[in-house]
Amino acid sequence: MTFDLIKNKLDVLDCDAFELTETVTRGYEFYFIRHNLDQNRYTEIKSYTVNIYKKTKDDNGEYLGKASAELYPTYSEEDVDKVLSDLLFQATLIKNPVFSLNDKPLEEVSRINPSDLKELSRAFIEMTNEVTETENKDMNSYEIFVKDIEKHFINSNGVEYIRNYPACVFEYVVNARKDGHEVELYRIGDYGSCKKAELKKEIEDTLQFAEDRLVALPTPKLTDIPVVLSTDVQVEIYNYFKEHMNAQYKVMNISDWELNKPICDAFEGDRVTLEAVKYLPDSSYNFDVDTEGAFINDRFLLKDGVPQAFYGSKQFSDYLEIENSSNVYNVIVTGGSKSEDELKQGDYLEIVEFSDFQVSAIGGDIAGEIRLGYLHKDGKTTIVTGGSVSGNMVDAAKKMEFSKEQTQYNNFKIPSITKLYGTTITGVAE
Amino acid sequence: MKATFSTYLDSLIPSLKDLLAELSKSFDYVSILSTDSPGFRVSISNNQKAVAGKNMTTERGTVIRVYKDKLYSEVALSEIDVNNVKGEAERIKSILDNQFDLLKETSSKVYETEILKDEPLTLFKEKETEELPEAADLEALTEKFDILCKEGMKTIPGALNVIVTGISTHISKVFLSKNRDLRQSYVYTEGSIAAYARNEAGETKIYHEGVSGCGGPEIFEGLSDVVKKAGKVVSDLLSSEHITPGEYEIITSPEVTGLIAHEAFGHGVEMDMFVKERALGAQYINKRVGSDLVTMHEGALTDESVTAYVFDDEGVLAGDTIEIEKGILKTGICDSLSALRLNTNPTGNGKRESFSHKVYTRMTNTTFDSGKDTLEDMIASVKKGYLLEGMQSGMEDPKHWGIQCIISRGHEIIDGALTGKVVSPVVMTGYVPDLLGNISMASKDREVFGNGACGKGHKEWVKVADGGPYLKTIARLG
Repeated sequence: MTFDLIKNKLDVLDCDAFELTETVTRGYEFYFIRHNLDQNRYTEIKSYTVNIYKKTKDDNGEYLGKASAELYPTYSEEDVDKVLSDLLFQATLIKNPVFSLNDKPLEEVSRINPSDLKELSRAFIEMTNEVTETENKDMNSYEIFVKDIEKHFINSNGVEYIRNYPACVFEYVVNARKDGHEVELYRIGDYGSCKKAELKKEIEDTLQFAEDRLVALPTPKLTDIPVVLSTDVQVEIYNYFKEHMNAQYKVMNISDWELNKPICDAFEGDRVTLEAVKYLPDSSYNFDVDTEGAFINDRFLLKDGVPQAFYGSKQFSDYLEIENSSNVYNVIVTGGSKSEDELKQGDYLEIVEFSDFQVSAIGGDIAGEIRLGYLHKDGKTTIVTGGSVSGNMVDAAKKMEFSKEQTQYNNFKIPSITKLYGTTITGVAE
Repeated sequence: MKATFSTYLDSLIPSLKDLLAELSKSFDYVSILSTDSPGFRVSISNNQKAVAGKNMTTERGTVIRVYKDKLYSEVALSEIDVNNVKGEAERIKSILDNQFDLLKETSSKVYETEILKDEPLTLFKEKETEELPEAADLEALTEKFDILCKEGMKTIPGALNVIVTGISTHISKVFLSKNRDLRQSYVYTEGSIAAYARNEAGETKIYHEGVSGCGGPEIFEGLSDVVKKAGKVVSDLLSSEHITPGEYEIITSPEVTGLIAHEAFGHGVEMDMFVKERALGAQYINKRVGSDLVTMHEGALTDESVTAYVFDDEGVLAGDTIEIEKGILKTGICDSLSALRLNTNPTGNGKRESFSHKVYTRMTNTTFDSGKDTLEDMIASVKKGYLLEGMQSGMEDPKHWGIQCIISRGHEIIDGALTGKVVSPVVMTGYVPDLLGNISMASKDREVFGNGACGKGHKEWVKVADGGPYLKTIARLG
């Protein structure tokens, strides 16, 4: 089965609109235990996603229904006919308000430049071999995933693009040990390339964190002390702001933010400015158009804590009557009013490792178990572990501060440290 | 009726056997897993509806595992040219040679592993279901979900949206090696009600509960009961307060009990973590890790849930492993390659996210055994504490036996009675042996829940189920 065969069938199908995407993913995978190869893998996966749209009417009005399916390259022509026929019926069962598909012709967005899987893999493997390890701290294990993803999209309005892009995942675990006691720390990240020096430094910093965890004391009971975040968990914080500007969240009544109205009644700290950008160096999400064929334009979603533009799929953007919208992949959060040094004054708890730090994009609840923190109190620094931090972004957004300096975690360029006030810290010390 | 085995796989198997024979000329061990699993996902909310012929477990493809020079390698392909099996074998060898070259160029050493035993076995199993996802009446289903959604919007206080979701997949898999020909087909289904509601203070609360099991879309019938009790739960959430952090007596509902089973000792005894020396459990075999009331099972045979397969993704028959017996840690669970490295037997827990993903040791059904107490007696025994209900998420920490569970709500208990006060959300943390060691009561009843998905670290999502009885213990809440 081929892209053209499906497209030809869609062209004559009695639907009101369609979208067809062919995705081919080729991947190299290497799994290491203590620098010894556990397993190597190759993947080559092709699939087709078809969306069929059909209009219906009843006494309450007109609707546009969408039904989707994944078609496999091993499907027979009869299989394809059956799926498309089923989708055509299923679309009539779905009664959503009418919207339209993207219809602006795309130019110069067909780019085929396959990633060199072998060379990308080589960079990751060589980088791991260059990490400075000692008898007391080393890499336990790591997994390298290097992919080249090729997409060919077309819709019934003639919008078409072909593109491919690299997508890498690097997961690693480090150990530190002392006097028969061993601890570990876990990290995973997405990358558009392998910047060897930066990644090597990140691993070595993590090794140092692990060594510090060996001598950590139980987190004491703490009240009214700000929390400083300085690692990739900050992305969870800023993703809350991004998702609240998602048109789908607005339509689904999850986001109650409104354009040109501050997100808080009274700000006491820094106000978030969040810009969506098409291109961010080294991101694995650098696309000219989104998955539905809409041009991605640089634009502010939030400026000084005031919503400027919701974003999202064509469907939800139409519902909110947003012009020139698209999905958003890369974001930049503008730096705050103070420097890192200024924010690290006075008493605070810097948490660099959680079991799993979560910020509910819907309700804003913050939760995470503390695996490693640095308690700065009364002029002394104590390394702590255990206990948890909890709170809610609705309160935190009013007072939070963030640094002038910025750092980048794949598709999020954000302040290098974020300081939260009013969160609850549950200590474990007696 | 039977969940009939895929006709596509039936037609593919002869070519797969030819490919296996061809690759066996160049490798010391070859196995092939091929899947064909159609299904659907229907989602109906107050203002958005969707139907799709795909969900997280639908797939079709083949993964080939080969072994040579003490190293296992895999190639996962969505299509194999059945008319040119020799050519496909050459292509697979060429792809792997390219990787072997890179490994040589980077001076990478191999974690040497022995060859799998490949003991002879033939099996064909089609499990029972009342209905197949492929034959589901989606028109009736969308209408039913629409009614449930409207009922939820009407009865749930402060409802911003109610989302009714149904997922059903008909899984067919064949595992082939030189001495094995295993084929299975079964259906699993899960449905859920999610509600978002906001109180006057502007706090948004989330409710999520569902039904699931090894069976077809008939399982969605249970959603009617779920939506009926959503109103009371959301009302509690909207009027909830923040908990005062501290250590409390707690009673865990079966759902929270399941979360503890999963996070505390489920991940902690996945023996691929033993290979990496990432799990403290390896040092505690035959040692006490819980009170006498703690007996924990793990295995696809333990419950007819969403993960009740007949054989795992490495062609090992499903099991029912007793991990903890009366507080003593007996054994872990193990995939085939980890078993070779640890000189033990695999337990039927080698699972892949999909055919294109690597096998890891993964959980299936993880459950605590029941006890002899009643919930009423358990509440009456609490001086000051909480009855915890509704799971949101959890995180494992096998190396240090920490536990993190985010729980929807806690009902305050003072002097043996529920006060009516509710706290939400609740972050439960602690040291696993303390948590299990303090279990002092367990109820007679037991429930298993299969609406969640489990990751290994932060990836490799697979279906799992867990549960148990009400348990009374002590934990730190914040």
